[in-house]
Amino acid sequence: MSPTTATAAGPRARAGAGRPGRRPVAPYLFLAPALVLFVVFLLVPIGYAVYLSLRGLRVSGAGPFGRREETFIGLDNYVTALTSTDFLEGFGRLLAYGVIAVPLTLGLALVFALLLDATTTTAKRFSRTAIFIPYAVPGVIASLLWGFLYLPTTSPISDVTQALGLGTIPFLSGSTLYGSVANIAIWGGVGFNMIIIYTSLRGIPAELHEAARLDGASELQIAVRVKVPLVAPAIVLTALFALIGTLQVYGEPTTLRPMTTSISQTWVPLMTIYRDAFTRDDLPLAAAASVLLAVGTLLVSVVLLRLAQRRAFGDA
Amino acid sequence: MSALDSAVSPVVTAPHRAPARPPRQAKVVPTAILVLGAVYCLVPVAWVLVASSKSPGELFSTFTFAPGTGLLDNLRALFAYGDGQFLLWSLNSLVYAGIGSVLSTLVSTMAGYALAKYRFPGRDAVFLAILGGVLLPGITLAIPQYLLMTKIGLAGSYWSVLLPSIISPFGIYLCRVYALAAVPDEVVEAARIDGASEWRTFRAVALPMLLPGMVTVFMLQFVGAWNNFLLPFVMLSDERRYPLTVGLYSLLAKGSGEPALYTLAIVGAAVSIVPLIAMLLFLQRFWRMDLISGGLKG
Amino acid sequence: MRRRTFAAATAAAGLALTLNACSKGDSSSSSEDGGPVTLTYWGWGTAQDGMVAAWNEAHPDVQVRKTDAGGSTESSAKLLTATRAKNAPDVAVVQYDTLPAMIVGGVAADISSFASDAKAQFTPGVWSQVEFDGAVYGIPQDVGPQALAYNQKRFTELGIAVPTTWAEFATAAEAVRAADPGSTLATFAPAEFGGFAAMAQQAGAQWWTVDGEKWTVSIDDAASREVAAYWQDLVDRGVVDAEPLLTPEWNAKLAAGKVLSWPAALWANGVINGVVPEQAGDWALAPVPQWKAGDSAVSFQGGSAVVVTTSSKHAEQAAEFAAWINTSPEGSAAQISAGQYPASLDGQELTLKSDPPVQSPQQADYWQVAQRISSNTVPEVSWGPNVNVANSAFQDAFNDAVTNRTSFIDALATVQEAVVADMEKSGFTVSAG
Repeated sequence: MSPTTATAAGPRARAGAGRPGRRPVAPYLFLAPALVLFVVFLLVPIGYAVYLSLRGLRVSGAGPFGRREETFIGLDNYVTALTSTDFLEGFGRLLAYGVIAVPLTLGLALVFALLLDATTTTAKRFSRTAIFIPYAVPGVIASLLWGFLYLPTTSPISDVTQALGLGTIPFLSGSTLYGSVANIAIWGGVGFNMIIIYTSLRGIPAELHEAARLDGASELQIAVRVKVPLVAPAIVLTALFALIGTLQVYGEPTTLRPMTTSISQTWVPLMTIYRDAFTRDDLPLAAAASVLLAVGTLLVSVVLLRLAQRRAFGDA
Repeated sequence: MSALDSAVSPVVTAPHRAPARPPRQAKVVPTAILVLGAVYCLVPVAWVLVASSKSPGELFSTFTFAPGTGLLDNLRALFAYGDGQFLLWSLNSLVYAGIGSVLSTLVSTMAGYALAKYRFPGRDAVFLAILGGVLLPGITLAIPQYLLMTKIGLAGSYWSVLLPSIISPFGIYLCRVYALAAVPDEVVEAARIDGASEWRTFRAVALPMLLPGMVTVFMLQFVGAWNNFLLPFVMLSDERRYPLTVGLYSLLAKGSGEPALYTLAIVGAAVSIVPLIAMLLFLQRFWRMDLISGGLKG
Repeated sequence: MRRRTFAAATAAAGLALTLNACSKGDSSSSSEDGGPVTLTYWGWGTAQDGMVAAWNEAHPDVQVRKTDAGGSTESSAKLLTATRAKNAPDVAVVQYDTLPAMIVGGVAADISSFASDAKAQFTPGVWSQVEFDGAVYGIPQDVGPQALAYNQKRFTELGIAVPTTWAEFATAAEAVRAADPGSTLATFAPAEFGGFAAMAQQAGAQWWTVDGEKWTVSIDDAASREVAAYWQDLVDRGVVDAEPLLTPEWNAKLAAGKVLSWPAALWANGVINGVVPEQAGDWALAPVPQWKAGDSAVSFQGGSAVVVTTSSKHAEQAAEFAAWINTSPEGSAAQISAGQYPASLDGQELTLKSDPPVQSPQQADYWQVAQRISSNTVPEVSWGPNVNVANSAFQDAFNDAVTNRTSFIDALATVQEAVVADMEKSGFTVSAG
């Protein structure tokens, strides 16, 4: 994770340090607005969240209507979170969801990016815009519209399956549910990831394809053997986003929840955090669970980056 | 870090010459897959547009993709709702997303440039802290941010939504990558040798080269802020300050004893998606430039 | 010079921060010298605007600014957070079942000293929703006595008589299924905590009771278990559908005339009209079925009170406002014209002079039926300090039971456990009943 080992950054960064003493203050001034905002709106709230996670709302004063007030309770909230089956089972569901959502988002994004970059396709401009458009649809609305398309009575898919004598597909129950929730995330996320990979593909020197093409390689072979390895860093980046996105999945199941009996308020960890914070008025517990989730995300990301570096670049 | 650093940077070292390629005959299968993907993405959007033409009665009684007869009535009801609240929400969204993403892009560009083009004590620590910021779930921060905003007397104000959205660790990270790739050190050095101040070097030399990257960051920030739900939901309690997402949500989440206003929410969604699509179509041209143009022209 | 422009630009980028000082949150404002006072008021629903306008017209010195902070769930969550930040509005609407949580959360202020006059305006059953431990925490605004909304047109088509007992209701459900397999008499909605609670209370359940210092929780008492078993039977036999309410799916069935009734509360007809306005004239109102023939017990489902918050610096004016909009003829008239059923006796009296609401123009005795229903409400139903926890546990437990076809009675036990555990954790003295 050390930036100085970066192949691209190394030489250039060193060149920038050419004349020390002349501009020691400039980079700090450039960074100042970002740093101030970073401290005020990220670091301080994080510190506050950690502080809150050590506190609890407990009844003070006598009587059945004693007021709940904040007091220090140590690590109780962490114990509660780590022993809560609701919270822990959420990670299992997260895994099932992630196994569908992450590979499909990345796979589709890569396929579309390669197709956009290939010489054998047309309708590129239209397709590129079309695939990116769902990214612009707010999550609240995305789940509402997919809800209409999933529910048996309003779904046009039901009309087709019923005409074929197959009955209706229970999109929002059983194991199909994972696919249905993942589909919304895939639909909304493919375009964004496609653009990242595509931007990277556009940077591959044309000579490389031409050489392969002269050797008689097909477009498919060029894509798999030449292009994919060259955009591996971009794929790692999108994988990281997809993974973080998975750990933070929340919006889609939350807005689908009122439409089905199969999604509980603790379906995924972030939903449990939200329930504790807003529905159960247990902000300290939510803060403890958040801290755990954030630390977990950090660890998973670091491990993924390490692995990716070793695999894709052999420079670890 | 090399995995992330080089994610976008090949672009600079290797110009892409699409027009030089021999035009090949389009094949059916690859094009079909691509178009299928486009259709998959467009069908639900098309549904929003179709459904927004349905009257409240038609919404639940007619075939899903059958156009309705109530578009004008729906629009009228939408803009009349709560004395024109929808228009207010749209303006609010424009303020939050517009001002927020312009400021965010500027702040991120300056920070990214500093991280990419200077060596100074604490640089690595700052960069790692920012990377860590990318990984934090927004929901974790929303409530502490609310409590802190309250302490400085800003909760419920425009500032409470605007200020936290200016800081974008991901934007800073992207800007750093772009600056590494698109601004050659030789150019920066040359400007310094000509006697330009650091600020002038940044503004007159680096900034034009960074512009395509800034457009991307602006676009991502704008879409992100436009679609942001949780932060304004937690911060705001006055519906006159709601952005569109919270406003549309409030149409759906009514108290018991009041039906959800599905029709209004759907027509509102349709109206609110249109400007975003227009912006994407407009900003599309900048993607065509990729980073090369910025990097090479310099 | 150049250095200076750099610094200036950096400062400009941080402009937002320096401007902090220029903007203040605008909660309640007033002048200390007895000049005009402005109160802030959080409320949801269509009735609020008219009531506030009526007050503002009659009280130039105390102006009220209403804000919609979301429906019951969102609004009460925000009230708790805002109170901790000392940023709550002066006055707020709170659903009866969340009022105890607002009291122990420190949101609702004791307004006993300002509210004594208002008491006479309400039946004891209604007043018991706002008075706890001898202190008054709110003024009742609207009530939702249980009632049966039914599609009169479809009832006639299928030859179904309006059921007066739950046993008749079950028979009617079978008859509907037999006559038209695609239709259902009613939906069992596993997430409708309020609806289930009302049916259990109607059957005699007392989920939370206070005895001195001690709470007793009995969510899985005999009466509640009986109600759970009743619905489980109907669901298991496939006589009624079990699914969430007011989803696109349910709305589509309603629009197709496949959902024939909705046992809920007085407001149900208005909700149905919002979903299927073209069925105005088809729907009518009837008393909710009874567990025992000949009974007339009716519980509340929904309904809300107006509370003065502990954050308010103008408690007296705020309490006056809360009492006025809910008891004055002007307030009640504004409320009724928006379709809300008033909690106050004068307000309910006033409805009798009104035309039937838009969804049931054919039912000339609509308001008479409504008044008859509300005069039979079960007195002294009390809610506990963590109804939010009960509600959320109930939704998950019953959704789970419906999805996995497991026992509703076990689901009740799960809710009971969760509620007791939460109260113990908070430090209340509690025992399971």
